[in-house]
Amino acid sequence: MANRSRQLYQPRRNNSSSSYSSYSDSTQSKIPKACNQNSNSSSIIYSNKTSSSSSKTGEFTSRIENSNHTDGDQDPPNLIGTCPFMCPVGERERRERLRDLAVFERLHGNPAKTSPALAVKKFSRTISSKDMKASDVRPVPVLEETLNYLLDLLHSSDHPFDVVHDFIFDRTRSIRQDLSMQNIVSDQVIRMYERMVKFHIISYHHLHRSSQTPNTASMSHLNLEQLMKALTTLFSLYEVNRASHSASPNEAEFFSLYLLLHLSPDNQVEPLSLWFRRIPSSVMESRAMSFARRILRYYRLGNYKRFISTTEEEASYLQYCIVEPYISEVRKLAVSCISYGGYKLQPYPVEHLSKILMMKESDVEAFSVDCALETSDDGTGKGLVSTKQAVINKTSKEHNKYYELDSSRIERLCAELPAL
Amino acid sequence: MAAYISMGEAHRRITEYLTRFSDAISSQDGKSLSRLLSVSSDSAALLSLADALNTFQDANRVIRQSERFSQYGDILLHVFRALQSYRLKNLAESYMAFEKASNAIIQEFRNWETAWALEALYVIAYEIRILAERADMELASKGKTPEKLKGAGSFLMKVFGVLAGKGPKRVGALYVTCQLFKIYFKLGTVHLCRSVIRSIETARIFDFEEFPVRDKVTYMYYTGRLEVYNENFLAADHKLSYALTYCSTEKEANIRMILKYLVPVKLSIGIFPKASLLEKFNLNEYKDVVLALKRGDLRLLRHALEEHEDRFLRSGVYLVLEKLELQVYQRLVKKIYIMQKERDPNRAHQIKLDVIVKTLRWLDIDMDVDEVECIMAILIYKNLMKGYFAHKSKVVVLSKQDPFPKLNGKPVNA
Repeated sequence: MANRSRQLYQPRRNNSSSSYSSYSDSTQSKIPKACNQNSNSSSIIYSNKTSSSSSKTGEFTSRIENSNHTDGDQDPPNLIGTCPFMCPVGERERRERLRDLAVFERLHGNPAKTSPALAVKKFSRTISSKDMKASDVRPVPVLEETLNYLLDLLHSSDHPFDVVHDFIFDRTRSIRQDLSMQNIVSDQVIRMYERMVKFHIISYHHLHRSSQTPNTASMSHLNLEQLMKALTTLFSLYEVNRASHSASPNEAEFFSLYLLLHLSPDNQVEPLSLWFRRIPSSVMESRAMSFARRILRYYRLGNYKRFISTTEEEASYLQYCIVEPYISEVRKLAVSCISYGGYKLQPYPVEHLSKILMMKESDVEAFSVDCALETSDDGTGKGLVSTKQAVINKTSKEHNKYYELDSSRIERLCAELPAL
Repeated sequence: MAAYISMGEAHRRITEYLTRFSDAISSQDGKSLSRLLSVSSDSAALLSLADALNTFQDANRVIRQSERFSQYGDILLHVFRALQSYRLKNLAESYMAFEKASNAIIQEFRNWETAWALEALYVIAYEIRILAERADMELASKGKTPEKLKGAGSFLMKVFGVLAGKGPKRVGALYVTCQLFKIYFKLGTVHLCRSVIRSIETARIFDFEEFPVRDKVTYMYYTGRLEVYNENFLAADHKLSYALTYCSTEKEANIRMILKYLVPVKLSIGIFPKASLLEKFNLNEYKDVVLALKRGDLRLLRHALEEHEDRFLRSGVYLVLEKLELQVYQRLVKKIYIMQKERDPNRAHQIKLDVIVKTLRWLDIDMDVDEVECIMAILIYKNLMKGYFAHKSKVVVLSKQDPFPKLNGKPVNA
């Protein structure tokens, strides 16, 4: 059974997501395990491991480097964490002394005092798996409790969003670090990664909507970077898991999210055409992927009408978070086409435009101004004037104000933060 | 199963190999040397040698017996191990031993002044890849991480480095490059192709024309495919056409592989293959696509994509073909225009959106007038159609001159 005696702390728990039953996880397996029986498909574990600029300790490198050093078929001995706290004692005491405590970790607001219930292990750039002591690494059950505690802060904290985001961003990165050092693949670990990816997506949405300062821009960039890393690792876990037994029920949605993140050729490190080759058919045939592929098609063909209407009708919350930033771009394309090809003597009715672009009429007018286009009023209503000029370039950041999608379904979808 | 051989016979076979090996090197006979290293070729000579090694068990003693052989001890020890493991179907072991042997050979190779041993080097590069692929299959089937092919890639990059110099050996670099391409494509790590492509195309020591034709064709095939995946159709056309031009006409399988990518590229720039070409090279999956483009039959295009979806996804051309929809729309509207012209030439250039809606419905495609207007707007914006659309009258008015500009070898505007 579980090593309950080691759990000396009681973190605040989110009711919906804790799962004590997973302490004795019989489905736990260690990587390296069978990745693919099919000799034609390539191993996902390597293909997404581009030379990323950030720390080498991260997600998968340690395992691969270890196995390259051993001769023959020996698997390297895997580290099993024994730290029972959210933060190892040594680190907690050191940070107290150095007054290096985040706002959430301070006991009664005291910048030099914390407690086992508040301190959470920080992400460390400089650790290699060789230097790690088991007592500094948290085992999976502790990591899950830590994750519960962190994600609970999203709902419950009074602090402004970017402060909460920064804290959870760093501390979940440390969780991923501990996980990768221990090399475990299990349903429990997969579920944890799924929740962390969700966090990054929610942040992605939030950051995109907030006012664009250099600070939020850099937060956005870093958040996207970690989102991709976590997603990539998640895909590797899915693949290893698939070889041992069944697929995770959420796989399809996460694959669809990857696709939606890469609609534009500029974002693609690996060409989509190659990525498609590696997707299992069960995922390809899922509703989530079907939605994402249609959105991709509409995006590439320039079918602005269906891009917007399909998103409105079918997107799940997470999918919507990722599609939303494209909506402004697609709307720009729409007004460009209409301005370029519309009949010069009859401005295109704003009322109709508002239906197709799913915007309030007042927003359509403001948006037109953002795009340096004119509207005119001829008595029967406002209309977009055609100028036959190629309108706006896509990358101008100043005119990137997002106007809400005029839809009650989407409004409801975004109204509350989903359970993580 | 190996037949029983006596110790004497085993010793004889080993000594024979060692003699051939040292003779090949001293007489600078690249061809003979290469034959001695083709582990995966399953040649009778090597198989019988492997049996001998497994019988004799202490080949090292034989190597050390004579200075002639022991000077290549580093190489031979590992080659023998590779052969033995291969014979015993222990492929991961075989790969690792072969890599060590290859490493030792490369050290010697550096010192050999002329390019006499290039053929042997080619065999080494090939064997490194093949043995690694098979080792990975074995590892995966045993539930372990398949990482030998990745290692093979790193090793071949080293070999590339050895060849990237001023001497005559540099013409071998393209062959090694192609082996690297095959590895990266298989692993899905195609971004790693970039650095080696840069070396080949920009380094001053390399003159592309100096490389053997066979290697140039393979190189253009792979780099052409990369251009397809990145949707640079003009570059893709250039490279794949080069490969097609210089590919030996007897190598029909290779021609087919090139055409598999060239056809979608040509279609994207408005050039249609003849039906006879598709038939000759068994590319029938493109037949309906071409027909749909010629007829403006949107239903047929979508059906063709659905029917061959797996195949198109696997080769990676699906997205390219999907984008042909815009050209199909163009053709469809053009056909309506032509029909109207026959009936009433003065009004032909005005096409009611409702007529397009009806035409699509006749093809079992359900599109409302708003979506049709959207498509018309896009076609005009991308210069597939010249004219304008009037929202209130729900009509598209085509330009009297050249309303449907041909692509003429250029892709549709992004």
